[in-house]
Amino acid sequence: MTPTIIQAGTAAAARVDQTFLLIFGVSAAILVFITLLMVWFVFRYHHARHPQAADIRGNVWAEIAWTVIPTVLVMGMFWSGWTSFKALRSAPADAMRVKVTARMWSWVFEYENGRRASTLYVPVDRAVRLDMTSADVLHSFFVPAFRIKMDTVPGMETYAWFQAEREGSYDILCAEYCGLQHANMLSTVEVVSAEEFKRWSESGAGGDEEAVGLLETYGCMGCHSLDGSEEAGPTLMGIYGKERPIVDGGGTRTVVADEEYLRRAILEPDAELVAGYEGMPSYKEEMPAEDLEKIIRFLTGGAARDLDRGRSLMEAEGCLSCHSTDGSEIAGPTFKGIYGHKVVLEDGTEVVADEAYLAEAIRDPEKTMVKGYEPIMPPYSHLNDEDVKAMIDYMRSLPEGHD
Amino acid sequence: MPSPGETVPFLDPLPGRSGLTSWIFSTDHKRIGMLYLWCILTMFAVGVAIGVLMRLELIAPGRTIMGAQAYNAMFTLHGVVMVFLFVIPGIPAAFGNILLPLQIGAEDVSFPRLNIFSWWLYLTGAVLAVTSLFTGGGPPDTGWTFYVPFSERTTTNVSLAVVAVFILGFSSILTGLNFITTIHRLRAPQMSWGKLPLFVWSLYATAWIQLLATPVLGVTVALVFIERLLGIGLFDPAKGGDPLLYQHLFWIYSHPAVYIMIVPAMGVVSEIIPAFDRKSIFGYKAIAVSSLAIAFAGSLVWAHHMFTSGMSDTAVLVFSFLTFVVAIPSAIKVFNWVATLYKGSIYLEPPLLFALGFIFLFSVGGLTGLVLGSAGTDIHVHDTYFVVAHFHYVIFGGTGFGLFAAMHFWFPKIFGRMYDRKLANASWYLLIGGFNMLYFPMFLIGLMGMPRRYYDYLPMYQTGHMISTAGSWVLVAGLVTMFWGLSKCLRGPRTVGRNPWGAATLEWTLPSPPPHLTFLDPPDEVPSPYSYAGVKRDA
Repeated sequence: MTPTIIQAGTAAAARVDQTFLLIFGVSAAILVFITLLMVWFVFRYHHARHPQAADIRGNVWAEIAWTVIPTVLVMGMFWSGWTSFKALRSAPADAMRVKVTARMWSWVFEYENGRRASTLYVPVDRAVRLDMTSADVLHSFFVPAFRIKMDTVPGMETYAWFQAEREGSYDILCAEYCGLQHANMLSTVEVVSAEEFKRWSESGAGGDEEAVGLLETYGCMGCHSLDGSEEAGPTLMGIYGKERPIVDGGGTRTVVADEEYLRRAILEPDAELVAGYEGMPSYKEEMPAEDLEKIIRFLTGGAARDLDRGRSLMEAEGCLSCHSTDGSEIAGPTFKGIYGHKVVLEDGTEVVADEAYLAEAIRDPEKTMVKGYEPIMPPYSHLNDEDVKAMIDYMRSLPEGHD
Repeated sequence: MPSPGETVPFLDPLPGRSGLTSWIFSTDHKRIGMLYLWCILTMFAVGVAIGVLMRLELIAPGRTIMGAQAYNAMFTLHGVVMVFLFVIPGIPAAFGNILLPLQIGAEDVSFPRLNIFSWWLYLTGAVLAVTSLFTGGGPPDTGWTFYVPFSERTTTNVSLAVVAVFILGFSSILTGLNFITTIHRLRAPQMSWGKLPLFVWSLYATAWIQLLATPVLGVTVALVFIERLLGIGLFDPAKGGDPLLYQHLFWIYSHPAVYIMIVPAMGVVSEIIPAFDRKSIFGYKAIAVSSLAIAFAGSLVWAHHMFTSGMSDTAVLVFSFLTFVVAIPSAIKVFNWVATLYKGSIYLEPPLLFALGFIFLFSVGGLTGLVLGSAGTDIHVHDTYFVVAHFHYVIFGGTGFGLFAAMHFWFPKIFGRMYDRKLANASWYLLIGGFNMLYFPMFLIGLMGMPRRYYDYLPMYQTGHMISTAGSWVLVAGLVTMFWGLSKCLRGPRTVGRNPWGAATLEWTLPSPPPHLTFLDPPDEVPSPYSYAGVKRDA
């Protein structure tokens, strides 16, 4: 196929394209032939030009010809199609293995080292075998550029394989209808160099990078260092838990820089200014709660990592394809403001979405289903306590929302 | 002195028997055929309206006029209405009922009461299908294929919809049974198998598929219903069932059903081409036998819908091979039709235009089917817009245009009036143009990887979707023009004679419209159906 369609990204795909060309070529020739013949006959044998029809009822040789010739042609197509299919099915034994789990409506890719991701990172020029299954209904793993498509079937393992020839980003689409968000069950194959893949494979989840990025974005780093050096404002290194002298009326008092204090110091800095420094602008209007929480988690140390981990776990497990974090409704209730709020269950009882409830809702959703939603969420009983805690911490960091 | 039944046109009431009940309880095959015709055309209008709304939603990525749930219900309804309520009963139940006894010189079908009962089943199924939209958990959102386990988990009103399909299936089975018996037992004494019109041959082949394959659909949807009700675990792997089993059962019916849809249209084309060509059909036996060959071989190719399902590679090999085998009789038919035009004396009337449109569009659909039969290429285009384009070319371009051709061909026979020829010709150009503009871009975006049943799509597919949506407007303009051209001529005096086209099959020896009672005595002479020497036009 031409580059304007989608260039074949693997050798097997190029083999499939040969079959496409063969069938399209022969078909186009037949179609043009038949159409032109019809048009010509209608013109040539129009009753005005050909008032008396000939008496022809058939011809055995013609029948044999247009039985045998199409038979030969289609058998050629069959064979070409079959051999290209074999190329798509013959995964090399030494292929890198990735487990694929499809669920409404996201993909989970699990690597041999246990790393889980919602995007399929693979090294270039390396055969990759995908062992696939589904957690709920049928889905179909489709990468147009690699000409591969395979259904994922609950209770059954299917496979596909590819060996990408070029680095780049290739669309993954779900090709088997799977309900409400079928059209949004998208991801990408990120084909990267072997070195980059190694780096990615060995790294953990995002880390503190995002929070540091936020500090830069909001201009905090202009006055506050992260390395202990003093600038216009106090350094942020080790600030959590320190005692701070605060300007209070004429004198000073001491507060402990706990989570609450840090929050106040960002939103209303002039109310409790640390002695010896000039004022700082308030971020009350400017900084959304989500960003504030990320920064707070970062400043309070290890918790920051958990928060990011919670978010990326939820991405990898596919939670966020049904539950939004911004208050909008997808297929399940939004996570925004869910922590600590009352929810109504299927049987009409009201419970407060506390840590215990949320943990159960993740592991055994059938029993804890919120009223008004389709009972389609699969149980996530494979998650350990630490993972669940990280997820709940992340939910807690999305405070403002509905009642 | 002939009775009123032998002189009063079947559309007019007999003395003392008039009103709605003289239609809905009629056992006259012609009246039953007309009941089907009005019903299927109504369902066609519903299906088209839904299709146009879907195309409008897809004109741009993201939400345009409806949400995802509404869209998912729409494509389900479009499929169910078009497949089960329009296309499958379409030509056989409407035109087959009206014409089969007339073409073989019979008084009626073998079981006239069973015939009206079939229509009542159809009506019941149609009403239940429509009811499922407004009751229970909302309109079904599974697609017309009801694939498990999704169809067992969704809380929408799938149970009622599958009951509707179950009942519709019986309508189809009983019609098939009736036609087979009629063709075997009630042919005029002189009508040997070799003199059977090709439309009757096509109905015969279709009837066998209806009779043998439809029960499998009944069983399948009944199992889905039971599974939803009792959760006994036939198809749901969470309960020890097998989702692939469902797909096999579903397609064991639903692929042959494609031939229920297309073979009667092939029969229509085989009638029209010689009539407007003034020349015998080329290769009568080849066309008749290929109908049977399609019916037989077409029953063995169902799993070509499942190359990506996870079934064994061996099964892929076998079903890919058999799929290419079934392409051969279709090709034979096309070549014979084209050869019939050779050295004819052609009158390019609207029925012939639609028949030629059929050949072109069906050829595009059939040839792109080769891409789907070939295992390697099917993997790429399976469940994409390429498939959507392919089956619309076959089913709408084929069966739809076949139905339009039949409507124009037999309109004067049924109504005793001629349609507006200019509007019919104009509608043909709009329909052909709009059709290709609507469906051809789908081949391209399908090759680019656009999956079907997508409410939303990536920006790279937008150009194709936009052209396609614009094409749907042209197509609708064509449909409006065509139905206007037909319906404006439904009033006024009946002026058409017995045989406006000079065709040679038996229905053209009767008045237009035929009287209530026809062929009380079988015709003395049965001519060869495509021998035009000595046949006089009677406009």
